[in-house]
Amino acid sequence: MQPSALIRLCRALASLKLTLVALLLFAGGVLYAYWSAQPAAFALAAPLGLLALNLLAALASNPAFRQQTPLLVFHLSLLAIVLLVAAGQLTYLKGKLELAQGEEFAGVLTETEAGPWHPFRLDKVHFVNHGFDIAYAPGVMRQRTYNRVSYTDEAGTVRQAEIGDTTPLVLAGYRFYTTPNKGYAPAFYWHPSGGGAPALGTVHLPSYPANEYRQSQEWQLPGSGINKMWTQLSFDETIIDPERPSEFRLPKQHKLVLRVGDVRHELQPGQAIDLPGGMLVYFGLLTWMGYAVFYDWTIHWLLAASVTAVLALGWHFWRKFAAKPWDN
Amino acid sequence: MDELKFLWVALVLYVVAGSTAIFGVVFRKRPERSVLLLMVAGLVLHTVSIVLRWERLGHGPFVTMYEILSSNVWSMMLAFALTYWRIPLIRPSAAVVMPILFMVMGWLLMSDPGEGHLPPTYHTIWLFIHIGFGKVFMGAVLVAVGLSGVILLRATHNGAGRFERLPDDPRLSELTFRCMAVGFIFETLMLIAGAIWAQDAWGRYWNWDPLETWAFLTWLILAFSLHLRLTYRLSPRMGAWLVLAVFITAFLTFFGVPFISETPHQGAV
Repeated sequence: MQPSALIRLCRALASLKLTLVALLLFAGGVLYAYWSAQPAAFALAAPLGLLALNLLAALASNPAFRQQTPLLVFHLSLLAIVLLVAAGQLTYLKGKLELAQGEEFAGVLTETEAGPWHPFRLDKVHFVNHGFDIAYAPGVMRQRTYNRVSYTDEAGTVRQAEIGDTTPLVLAGYRFYTTPNKGYAPAFYWHPSGGGAPALGTVHLPSYPANEYRQSQEWQLPGSGINKMWTQLSFDETIIDPERPSEFRLPKQHKLVLRVGDVRHELQPGQAIDLPGGMLVYFGLLTWMGYAVFYDWTIHWLLAASVTAVLALGWHFWRKFAAKPWDN
Repeated sequence: MDELKFLWVALVLYVVAGSTAIFGVVFRKRPERSVLLLMVAGLVLHTVSIVLRWERLGHGPFVTMYEILSSNVWSMMLAFALTYWRIPLIRPSAAVVMPILFMVMGWLLMSDPGEGHLPPTYHTIWLFIHIGFGKVFMGAVLVAVGLSGVILLRATHNGAGRFERLPDDPRLSELTFRCMAVGFIFETLMLIAGAIWAQDAWGRYWNWDPLETWAFLTWLILAFSLHLRLTYRLSPRMGAWLVLAVFITAFLTFFGVPFISETPHQGAV
């Protein structure tokens, strides 16, 4: 290709008219992504790519543009934001997990969505859920969540923290958020008949109070050969009163119904039943908390680029308007 | 409730202010001092109404449609009153701006003033920062709409002689451009503050929820209109239509999205 042709191409790509077309395409892509049920990354990426090309061509071919420092910084910041968002899409992680009271997070998520280049360092992240306090306003309106957790910092010191709502726990770049998803968790000890250490496990009943009248769960007892057990939590008290302020708490009295095959058991804390392969002891009732986890190393850089962009934009307009006051 | 009485009196004062401004334009009078005094008196009473409700409920006007409309009438009125006071040359544009506010006030009167529950994710300083930037944006665009309305009305048979005291169309158009530039900065700040809040509240800085999507579309349309102005030598009338397009999108985002989404932001309960 001749240099003159390259320059002509560069000038054509740098056109402000092309910027207008790309902005319209981008707005169209946003609307398509908003209304489409299908993944629509291309509808956003293509016009963004065109805008980036348009900007780079303008930088290369338009000296007047390069000389306007604030405007240049604004547009370069926008370019940085696009590149950072792309990098974030390749390396992000979103997930969910549930932890019973006293349980330690050991790197296992119940749901995961991650970019192809996510480094998966969750196995290095450990924290313990020590329970939570949540008040409710009349009308079963959830108030703030105070979730007590402990974790080991990079120096090896065990630290306590209180997280919830707008305060996540941040460990190794992973941000753990409490969710409205939480409930009761009956805890059991399983004593294998062949000897060996007893194992503690919990069954997470459906989220409370969202599923107030459906506090039952089917589950499997690992190592017992029993594939289907059914547990129901039963109590008469009103925990979250729709008429007055309340607090999420354990019921003062409850019974646990356990059905194994056709046999029905009613258990109080400390009671046990014999099963094929061992003995199951009902330890007591605990709570569980659902967490959302988010990882994106770009977020602080995105904030820096965004703030730079808006400061540069303000600088540009200030300079432009101060040079020629409107009422002069 | 006292807060409602204060609000109603404030709305009456706004309506009288607006009607006086329209009267001034139609009959070529200059009741500017009276209009300013009525607007300020309305704002004082409206502020008292908002403070009383805030005191009673323990949270600001952020939750119900009534609260969102009331706080936006207050902020748009404040933005326009400040402009009215500081730039006497453009005072007759009140005859365009006030009828727009009348519509929002009518909607406010029809909305339910009942209490709403402040979601736990709203207990953050970023809520105030996000909403504050949004209100400055809307105020700047409202002033631009008033001036654009004057430009468009001047082109009509009935409006031709009514606004002759204002500067000529190119100068008005230049001022609308400056208002839109200020609006663009504050819309950008609103999006940034909203993303920070969303990251802490819902564990993601952006999720294309209805309000995020429409706020971003408003930003894109604003960016498009500023670029279009730079690319072509637009006539003041064309520029005025662009301002109206931005305002309509912003208005639908601020007040229309709550109709298609249960809460201003998905996940806010």
